[in-house]
Amino acid sequence: MSEERDKTAGMPSSGDTVGTAGEAPKETAGTVEGKEQSGQEQASANAEPAAPAAPSSAEASAAPVVDPEREAKLKAAAEAREARAAAKAKAESEAVPEEPKAPSPKQPILDAAVGLIRTEVAEDAVEEAYINELNGHMPVIVVKGDRWSEVAALMKNHAALGCNYLRNVTGVDCETHMEAVYHLVSLESKQDYAIKIKTDREAPSVASATPIWATANWNEREIYDLLGINFPGHPDMRRIMMPDDWVGHPLRKDYEPLDPEV
Amino acid sequence: MKGLLKGLGVTFKSMTAKKVTTSYPDVPFVMPDRFRGIQHFEPDKCIVCNQCARVCPTECITLTGKANPDPEKKGKVIDTYDINFEICILCDLCTEVCPTEAIVMTNNFELASYSRDELFKDREWLDNNNRNVRQDNNNIGAPAAAKGGAK
Amino acid sequence: MIRTEELLLNVGPQHPSTHGVFRIIVKLDGEVITEAIPVMGYLHRGTEKLAEDLNFTQIIPYTDRMDYVSAMTNNYVLCHAVETMMGLEIPERAEFMRLIVMELQRVASHLVWWGTYLLDIGAMSPFLYAFRDREMIIDFFNELCGARLTYNYMRVGGVKWDAPEGWLDKVRDFVPYMEKKLDEYNNLVSGNEIFLARIKGIGQYDAQTAIDYGLSGANLRCTGVDWDLRRAEPYSLYNRFEFDVPLGKTGDCYDRYLIRLEETRQSLRILKQALEQIPSSGEVMGKVPRVIRPPAGEVYVRIESPRGEIGCHIISKGKAEPYRLKFRRPSFVNLQILPKLLVGETMTNLITILGGIDIVVGEVDA
Repeated sequence: MSEERDKTAGMPSSGDTVGTAGEAPKETAGTVEGKEQSGQEQASANAEPAAPAAPSSAEASAAPVVDPEREAKLKAAAEAREARAAAKAKAESEAVPEEPKAPSPKQPILDAAVGLIRTEVAEDAVEEAYINELNGHMPVIVVKGDRWSEVAALMKNHAALGCNYLRNVTGVDCETHMEAVYHLVSLESKQDYAIKIKTDREAPSVASATPIWATANWNEREIYDLLGINFPGHPDMRRIMMPDDWVGHPLRKDYEPLDPEV
Repeated sequence: MKGLLKGLGVTFKSMTAKKVTTSYPDVPFVMPDRFRGIQHFEPDKCIVCNQCARVCPTECITLTGKANPDPEKKGKVIDTYDINFEICILCDLCTEVCPTEAIVMTNNFELASYSRDELFKDREWLDNNNRNVRQDNNNIGAPAAAKGGAK
Repeated sequence: MIRTEELLLNVGPQHPSTHGVFRIIVKLDGEVITEAIPVMGYLHRGTEKLAEDLNFTQIIPYTDRMDYVSAMTNNYVLCHAVETMMGLEIPERAEFMRLIVMELQRVASHLVWWGTYLLDIGAMSPFLYAFRDREMIIDFFNELCGARLTYNYMRVGGVKWDAPEGWLDKVRDFVPYMEKKLDEYNNLVSGNEIFLARIKGIGQYDAQTAIDYGLSGANLRCTGVDWDLRRAEPYSLYNRFEFDVPLGKTGDCYDRYLIRLEETRQSLRILKQALEQIPSSGEVMGKVPRVIRPPAGEVYVRIESPRGEIGCHIISKGKAEPYRLKFRRPSFVNLQILPKLLVGETMTNLITILGGIDIVVGEVDA
């Protein structure tokens, strides 16, 4: 099975540029691979199907049933899968040079926003801008950390953008860096944006958006509490969920609780 | 004053309405068939595929199997099967994935006990818990023609 | 000589009217509040951290327990997020079942709110009336999915069970009964002079404040801002049904009260239409791969729960478990306005305002 997975992972990348965040054609092969027979069973925590052909199973408890009939069936299924994956890989590599992806309908809105930011705030404020196609083509703009306050003020106050409603602030711990994602929407034009700010892991800090949108107040406190991102400019930066004397930031990927029982 | 009087009118009207109180526990509560109560386990049907333990969101099922004592038949037979009812949330995912319907829910919900030890249900207990077994299981893991092979 | 001092009072975590374990530290000058500091986290169960180890079907029971009064909408937001990421098609009957169940849940949730709010204010009987009717809805859910509060009903790609025999007819009979009851409740409470004196003009804020603080649901619509996600960013099948979105004018507790009652009535209206339009047979589960592995990427979906905008932000790296799962909980965001509203109020109005925001602490803490 593991060589199966490598094969699908090693398929030629379809030349994705920074243009899209959502496309992952390799993954559909991966989901098909998980099915041996049709029938919709609920997912188990392990990605492997219940009966790997090799009896070596990582779990301490019993390995599942193996009998010659099943072995043969599994082999046949594995071969069929390989054939399918190979055919797909071929089709992918052939199809890609033919048709570039159609531009997203929200691309002009993204370009307009990026243009505004570049002119009004600073030329280098925008690090990246792309359309998140999975999410209904939401424009995503990655903004440089030290320009964030000005960009935020621009997003709220500029007539064309007018994002007066901050929906959600999420902190993300990507292992190499940390991110804060702000989801904005304009109640009049119903246009939504996602703005990301990347920051490093040792001393993460993102300028607080509380002076601009009051919604950010507790959201940023929660992110500080659980992830450790500091928000200079926040009126009341202290822990909100965890007890005030807690050590550490629980939602980080490398968080080791002092007391594993808790 | 008028608002108060209108309200009082409603109150008096409902004084004469039918009572909806049930006198549980004198009158036992009959739960609908799909109710998710404590589980019932039939060791004979279990093929030790481990799906229930894997899908459990709180990891409260632990099981071990042993090789089938009958030298003719292949496969495993269940040896121990424990459910930790301190953390079982009666979510029903284990019955959903079981390919043989070895574990099903019953409609028993009176689980209170005086000590925590009684909350670790073992195979014996789960096997004997066969009152009010649920009929409609909607078991996605075992389509009608399953012969018991793990997926 | 008589000297007055400021009193620091804990409207403590254990309190019958704080709707859960929620603490407010109030600084009082006599009976007037000078400052209020909410303290939360007593019910923080680490759902977001746990979710990083579980695959999506296993997270569904956890979502039930966040906003336990309105569990179906929580189930839906997670399933909707994963389905949006994977681009799955949901069969029509499944979508109808989801919608019917969500609207029934909205009625039930608003009944809980109504009963407990009036109990906080001092009226004893509406609580029992509300719970009597909510029992009927809970019994429907019991027959449908086997649990009274934490349903675990929706799955990625559809719902778990189809309606049992006769269930839809029972719901059809329930709708006119509930409408009659709503009229009765209006007669009982909404004209009551004592009630009006306690509620009118309390906790008022204007539209700009509401938008700044990111309020949603009835808290936003009481100021006149027309923002209901079922209308503005339709999801599921809401664009097939006719319903009104009640708006308030003054932005005080009374408006919120009236809006929520009117929303219940509109939910019943949607229910009636949905029950007529539901296809009489069909699959309840779409074509879903056995292992649910969304493609790498992120998605943020939002729906209108009875409390406001509940959102689910999933960042996935292509595995069966999410890399980061964040829920935007309406009660958490709506509660931010509490310290601002409470300054200058009396202690009795604290309970009125807190109840009017309609929070569920399981959601505030996640």
